[in-house]
Amino acid sequence: MTDSELHPYVEWIAREARRPVVTDQAARDRVMAAVRAEPAPLHRLSIWSRLLAPRAFTFSPAGGALLAAGLVGIGVFAGSMALNRDGRMSVGRPPVAVAPQLPVSNTLVRFVYVAPNANQVYVVGDFNGWDTTKTPLVRTASNGVWTVALPLSAGRHTYSFVVDGSWSADPHAPLAPDDGFGHANSVKLVRGGSSL
Amino acid sequence: MTSAPGGWVIAKDMSDDAADVQRVLAGDVDAYAALVDRYYDRCARYAVRMLGNRDDAEDALQATFLRAYRALNRYQERDRFSAWLYRILVNQCRSVAARRAHRDRVFIREEALLLNAPDRTPNWSGEDEEFVQRVLNELDPLLREAFLLKYIDEMSYEEMSALTGVGISALKMRVKRACDRLRERWERIKDD
Repeated sequence: MTDSELHPYVEWIAREARRPVVTDQAARDRVMAAVRAEPAPLHRLSIWSRLLAPRAFTFSPAGGALLAAGLVGIGVFAGSMALNRDGRMSVGRPPVAVAPQLPVSNTLVRFVYVAPNANQVYVVGDFNGWDTTKTPLVRTASNGVWTVALPLSAGRHTYSFVVDGSWSADPHAPLAPDDGFGHANSVKLVRGGSSL
Repeated sequence: MTSAPGGWVIAKDMSDDAADVQRVLAGDVDAYAALVDRYYDRCARYAVRMLGNRDDAEDALQATFLRAYRALNRYQERDRFSAWLYRILVNQCRSVAARRAHRDRVFIREEALLLNAPDRTPNWSGEDEEFVQRVLNELDPLLREAFLLKYIDEMSYEEMSALTGVGISALKMRVKRACDRLRERWERIKDD
């Protein structure tokens, strides 16, 4: 329906409602006052750059002496690790075994969405940064069944499907609490093992 | 600042928004004031028209800009900041309306104004604004939301769908029903 097709009364209502409302600077100031009381949002992508960013350190003379002693200690320890008891350098020494790290992604979870008439289905969630183009589902031979399997870490994950551009919660999963962004999300609890 | 074909208020250069977001994320809180200034009026119009009074609208606006600030690191630059912000706004308006529904009911009185309003040349006055607002308030919230996004914010159905998470066909139906309700009201008044 275009404006030209609107009933004149409806068009009049729409036109009048399009007029701007009067706002005052005080309301914006209240917004900014509330914003300034908040902790600063962290830049997700700048963690490494912040860790690696050059920064100045100041030490007291005593602190400097302790740091120097520590560095010497580290050097001596490293040296002792590189020498055998008789003082000869070891060659081809096997690496020291360390406790295995827990894998970040250890459970394969299959997402399934039934949409016979859809052209594209994606899954978005905390596991892919809510990227609406990163994780497409593949249409299977079955009627309108779309699926993708993803390795997920154990824990609680929220996700949603994006079907031809429209967000849709998983009809077969519990809904997550309102996240304030206008989308209904679903919840997947991953306990370990396979959820295929 | 300029308007996109869809009716969005967008920065003169899309990079304006992205640059401001980067400044905020780098620790410059004042850069957020530029984003607030750029989008406050547009958001205020939607909030007032949707919620029907300025107090509730201001609550929704404050919550919107605060939530957006808190979640700014979730904003991805390939999305339009305006669309992302509006998505939060629409949801906040829904939340405020839901809370208000528990608190009270919008009072709809018999309107003598309805009898003559469409006949006269529209002059923008406090009376007209009050009248238009009352007419909008009478629409079911879901119909009002769709009507406002389509004809007040002048979005495409694709934009509306991306923003609300509602399918295009359902949105078209809501807009049509909203228009039907308004037209039926007119027919009732005309026949009286």
